[in-house]
Amino acid sequence: MKVSVLIGGKAGQGINKVSQIISDVLIKQGHFTFNYRDYPSLIRGGHNFNILSISNTRIGSHESKVDFILAMDKNTIKIHKKELKKEGIIISYEKFKDLGINLNIALAGAFTKILGIEKKYLIKEIKKELNNPESIKAAEKGFNSQEVKFNLKKQNNKIKIISGSQAVAQGAINSKINRYFAYPMTPATGVMNELAEKQIKNKFMVFQPENEIAVVNAALGSSFAGANTMIGTSGGGFDLMSEGLSFQGISEIPLVVYLSSRPGPGTGVPTYSTQSDLNIALRAGHGEFPRVVIAPGDPKEAIEKTNEAFYLTNKFNCLSILLSDKHLAESEFSTNKKPNKILKVIANKKLPGKSIVKASSYEHDKFGNTTEDPKIIKKNQENRLKKYSQIKTEAKKFEMIKIYGKRTSKKLIIGWGSTKGVILDAIENTDYKFLQILYLMPMSNEIKKEIKKAKKVVLVENNLTGQLGRIIREKTGIEIKNRILRYDSRPFLCDELRKEIRNKLK
Amino acid sequence: MNLDTKNEITWCPGCSNFMILNSVKKAIKKSKIKNFTMVTGIGCHAKIFDYLNISGIYGLHGRVLPTMLGIKIGNPKLNVIGFAGDGDTYSEGLSHFISAGRYNSNMTLLVHDNQSFSLTTGQVTPTSQQGFKAKSEPLGNFNTPLNPLKLALSSGITFIARCDSKDIDHTAKIIEQAIKHKGFAFVEIIQTCLIFNKEMNNLSKYTYKVNNSNMKKAIILADKWNYNSKKGKIPIGIIYKEKRKTLEENWPQLKNGR
Ligand SMILES: Cc1ncc(C[n+]2csc(CCOP(=O)(O)OP(=O)(O)O)c2C)c(N)n1
Ligand code: SF4
Repeated sequence: MKVSVLIGGKAGQGINKVSQIISDVLIKQGHFTFNYRDYPSLIRGGHNFNILSISNTRIGSHESKVDFILAMDKNTIKIHKKELKKEGIIISYEKFKDLGINLNIALAGAFTKILGIEKKYLIKEIKKELNNPESIKAAEKGFNSQEVKFNLKKQNNKIKIISGSQAVAQGAINSKINRYFAYPMTPATGVMNELAEKQIKNKFMVFQPENEIAVVNAALGSSFAGANTMIGTSGGGFDLMSEGLSFQGISEIPLVVYLSSRPGPGTGVPTYSTQSDLNIALRAGHGEFPRVVIAPGDPKEAIEKTNEAFYLTNKFNCLSILLSDKHLAESEFSTNKKPNKILKVIANKKLPGKSIVKASSYEHDKFGNTTEDPKIIKKNQENRLKKYSQIKTEAKKFEMIKIYGKRTSKKLIIGWGSTKGVILDAIENTDYKFLQILYLMPMSNEIKKEIKKAKKVVLVENNLTGQLGRIIREKTGIEIKNRILRYDSRPFLCDELRKEIRNKLK
Repeated sequence: MNLDTKNEITWCPGCSNFMILNSVKKAIKKSKIKNFTMVTGIGCHAKIFDYLNISGIYGLHGRVLPTMLGIKIGNPKLNVIGFAGDGDTYSEGLSHFISAGRYNSNMTLLVHDNQSFSLTTGQVTPTSQQGFKAKSEPLGNFNTPLNPLKLALSSGITFIARCDSKDIDHTAKIIEQAIKHKGFAFVEIIQTCLIFNKEMNNLSKYTYKVNNSNMKKAIILADKWNYNSKKGKIPIGIIYKEKRKTLEENWPQLKNGR
């Protein structure tokens, strides 16, 4: 069973609270939710909406049509009426106008009743969340205003709600992070906020320097001094860091970078989503040096892959980039699966203060002294390349790719990152196979084999030029011409994608 | 403590960087402080990295300060000293300089100010005098120079000094005090480049020594010389000093080291 509800209103009206209350009530009944957040770059007013999709099994996407609209203002009805299914229902603000700031709570109450959930569960949640008599009254008023339309039976699932940002932060804490440096930039800021909140309890530090150039250089200083260090940013900030990444390459000071994409070029579309920064993740920084680029597809993977990034960075004193985007970072996923066992992150370098240690942005000999000797330079270059092959060998211990759907299928879908949820939903009850690529650098040799085994292949990416397709071609010599690309800064919708896949794999 | 290295020194013969290197060694030895970690920028000045037997990072051009700050945040027990050029500090990395005053991390920045980009063969920096002719500036520099002391004062830096590289003992003494200052210490070292911007050589005869910690007087001192000519007197010594809580004292995570 699947139900979807669009919650819309002005920024500041408490839309997120509505989806939070509803989903918190639901997961305790053993039901899964996926909350998509759509908001423009402004603080008050405008039009925001969430689409909360509800299911009795896992769910990781939303569709183009919804069953219900919870409208906190007129605009919501005007804008979204066309997205309502034929038999869909609008629950309007009008009935609850007198409730003031508790309007959102009334709407949450109303929808809970519709789902057929007992009032006591709702009230329990409101008490936990807000605990004031007005809110409880509003919730009751909303609840009593509706008729039961569904009968969601309690299921035996232990479910947690988590966003991609929270998951990356969790992965960093699992990896025993000591220092996080960042300069605010949507959609990377979520991780900074999450870590900042947890810094005292978990004994690490979050620092916001004057700009991204300072961020990357301070991080290299901090890591050199012995702190397990991570930084976070989005497109423009990442561009500013390029020289620092290259500095990492020659100095071999371990560094983990979290890159959360927003549509570009330029300032682009700050609060919407894209997968268009794979190219810069793979290539940013002059010169030739090894790096790891990993793109988790959901929060569970974000926890695990952040841990792997720290592990590899510390083992090889290399650069690891965790690639995410707004859709993964800010959507709220529900899961009943526990992440893999935590890898122990072990540092592998000498520290200043104990002996003389020199790191350099110049080509240098083994003591850190500057050199222009061609023999040493050649050796250093080759060592950097050698390190890359060592990283690749080590990475094979981890899930560099994952395969879903029907294993023997000759019809293959290839994707990476935040499209995972929607692809999984779109291929439910089909006989397609889905290859998810998690390690973009190094890349698994299995990819070529999988493509060769398939009769029909389609590439799904949230960008204009099919950036994954390009590196697959680079690594395998195979060009995937069959592509589904979305580049209007919005994520794929499950029903639309299902149709497109069916067409492309016919 | 042996601070020497075996590396061949590649500064031009007679370059005042030799004198700064001497002053630094003297100051470090006299301070009896251990656990020094240095950061250098990129330029002639930065070659000092290879000539000092202490740990550190040969950083990027302009990024000495954030790298230093990172080291302090990563391990506040390390004593961090930075070497930067005027191009490094006042051009490429200016935003870091202004912010360093706000943070007041317990570290020391020495700026080798030769009023030119020297390693790139003599272009105009923010402290170059008007009329300075360079290969890339055949019409002569039109811009008025920046006064680093005034900038430092308005940025809230808690220890501000100026030295003359040629006065090795005085420079050593000031560097020692800068190292011992609790908070961010900035030492602007006037340095001659024998090859480029010769016009500003031989400033020593205009200098006189001061030791001040009063803000009103500091502003007057900073204003005595505008970096634009050989007119006026050039105060050297401590221009301004104050006590303020450091970054390391403010952050609970840094209070007892890491
Ligand atoms: C990002 C970047 N831009 C430009 C350069 C080229 N560069 C090397 S040294 C230098 C100028 C150094 O001038 P200054 O900091 O005053 O030091 P000096 O050589 O005078 O001691 C420049 C521009 C560089 N290394 N990095
Ligand atoms: S060019 Fe100038 S600053 Fe550089 S080493 Fe020669 S004299 Fe010194």
